[in-house]
Amino acid sequence: MTGARSFYRRALGALRVSRFEAKIAVALVVAATLPLLGALLLAGRLAEENLALGLDPRVVERLEAVPGLYGDLFQARKQLYAEQARALARGLPSDRRKAEAYLRSALEKTPRLRRAALYAADGAVLAEAETQAENPEGEWREAPARVALPGGGQLECTFAIEARYFAELGEARDLAELVQGVDALRAEIRRSYVRAFALLLVAWAAGAAAIGILLARRTTRRVTRLVEAVRRLAAGDLAVQVDPGRQNDEVAGLARAFNAMVREVRDSRDRIVYLEKISGWQDVARRLAHEIKNPLTPMKLAFQQLEARFKASPVQDPAFGRLLGEAGEIVREEIGTLQRLVDEFSGFAKLPEVRPEPAELGAFVDEFVRTSKQIRAAADVDVVKASGSCPVALDRQLMRRVLTNLCQNAIDAARPGRARIHLGIARTRQRAVLTLSDEGPGIDRGLWERIFDPYFTTKGTGGTGLGLAIAKKIVLQHGGEIQVGDRPGGGASFSIALPLAPEAQSAA
Amino acid sequence: MTRARLRPGPTARLVLAALAAATALRAGAATPDPLPTLLSARAGRMEASLDLSAAFPAGAEREFGNGLTNVVAIYVSVVPDGARAPVALYGRVVEILFDVWDETYVVTVKDPRAPQGVRHVLPDFAALRRFLSEARGVDLGPARALPASPYHLEARVEVNPVSREQLQRTREYIANPSAGTRTAGSTRSVLGAVASFLLREPDPGSDVHLFRSRSFAGAGSAGARR
Repeated sequence: MTGARSFYRRALGALRVSRFEAKIAVALVVAATLPLLGALLLAGRLAEENLALGLDPRVVERLEAVPGLYGDLFQARKQLYAEQARALARGLPSDRRKAEAYLRSALEKTPRLRRAALYAADGAVLAEAETQAENPEGEWREAPARVALPGGGQLECTFAIEARYFAELGEARDLAELVQGVDALRAEIRRSYVRAFALLLVAWAAGAAAIGILLARRTTRRVTRLVEAVRRLAAGDLAVQVDPGRQNDEVAGLARAFNAMVREVRDSRDRIVYLEKISGWQDVARRLAHEIKNPLTPMKLAFQQLEARFKASPVQDPAFGRLLGEAGEIVREEIGTLQRLVDEFSGFAKLPEVRPEPAELGAFVDEFVRTSKQIRAAADVDVVKASGSCPVALDRQLMRRVLTNLCQNAIDAARPGRARIHLGIARTRQRAVLTLSDEGPGIDRGLWERIFDPYFTTKGTGGTGLGLAIAKKIVLQHGGEIQVGDRPGGGASFSIALPLAPEAQSAA
Repeated sequence: MTRARLRPGPTARLVLAALAAATALRAGAATPDPLPTLLSARAGRMEASLDLSAAFPAGAEREFGNGLTNVVAIYVSVVPDGARAPVALYGRVVEILFDVWDETYVVTVKDPRAPQGVRHVLPDFAALRRFLSEARGVDLGPARALPASPYHLEARVEVNPVSREQLQRTREYIANPSAGTRTAGSTRSVLGAVASFLLREPDPGSDVHLFRSRSFAGAGSAGARR
């Protein structure tokens, strides 16, 4: 039941015609039928003229007269036969034996005479002759001619009349009656032709409309999907994408441009959201740093005073002295930890504005590796450049900080072993891509979405969770993107995509 | 040709009314000729004998003797006085062919009693004219079913209308004009086929005569003649 309903729904959907399809269909119908509409106006005239040509009144009149002509022919033959019969009667001998010979002779002499019989007044046959010879004019029908004889009796002659005359008469009659009927129905026939033409025109238009809809549907379906996607986008769905299809036309180009636009909008939104979130966290970090930093100095001074008083005290308790010493170490260490935390919070809160300058990404990475002794001391670093020059705009100091944070994460992940860091540089049409991967344990896929959140760390108490957040903020401020992934063969991978300098984009 | 039963049902009544209306429309404003009528009851059925001689003048010999099939359609209806819709209809089609060899008139009469037709051979036009003018045995249905109120008979005589047979032949002709010719069967006209399908209306022709009898006072008027 549900399947049938679904089938009907699909069928109805397939039959539904969009406005665009209807417009194209109408355009095709108009284009196809407009000339024919003109022809329709002429069709009636044409039919009338054709009928007038075929039904010339003189022809109709002559056709109708044909049976009469045959009637005249038959009359003439009858008269001829009657005259011939009378002529035979005039020469008829009275002797019966001679009469038979006379009749036989008459059969030979008289054209078309097939039989002759002499009857007495009482109807008895007195003499009779009949020819069996083939009629030279083909099939024939009997044409009797009777002559009453003086003193009673009768001469009956049977002549042959061509049978074809009757066949021809029948044909002529059929034709004449047909033409008569057509002539009588002339006006109705003309109307029928016009109606037929109109009907064919409607069928033609319907066919054109159907073909138009089918042709339009191939495009309109995709446009409809695009419209639907735009509506979803307007409703806030930034995940919407449109299948551009296999065709390489304007609609496919529009779909691709739409997809790119949606991705751009989504990335911009993500960037803005992330930066707003980071900004909020920076405020929190600033307040925390301030709140933590303020009591640290009094605490430090108070403990230093305590130690100084103990040292200046005349009475020295060795046990208390050891306890004070141990406590002093703990307090200084913890204060130091807090101080570092405060410094990191302060550093995060006071991230400077990006001031990009033209740079070549490959050269920048080379310089970073060359000048980062601590990193090279803790890791093996190699650089692979997959493409030529990648001119970008960089804030060198901040981007160094990004690479430092990422390298530090790789080094931390490899502990206690020595880290292996691979730096790769490549470019696409519009972007320069810097990839930094290690051979550590990698990052669980479930954490990829949160890995750039501030204060999210996988290092336990050893990390502040700010390194990647700072890196992402700096990259975003460069107009780029940073993504986490897996390195083929094991390990984590971070890719930073930065926009190529405009001149490089136009050159590409 | 067709005859409705007396006391027809609603559909038949509608058809009769439509026929009557069509008849009236086609007749236009023409005034009917008087229709001398003789009614007689026969085996419980009312039959009429009509004098239609006004429809067949002596000068019609040339037309009927032309050697072509001539058709005369006679429609008779029983109409209550003051009403427009007939309560009974009778139709008769007479086909006349002058045999130019035998010089006789071969007449075939088709009506509801003999749909296939009854053949008569008449020796000359005078006999034919008499035969056509005196329409006998016009079956009006059961006598008791005639209207109790006064009624009259109306007759419509169409001389050489386009018959259904002729219409059918014309239709076949325009659908396949080359049929019967030397190029027969090679082509069939699509437009002609559609046009023939749309050619549906038989033409009554231009020679139409209308008659109207005097009024009869219900079933008890048998034998009256005017």
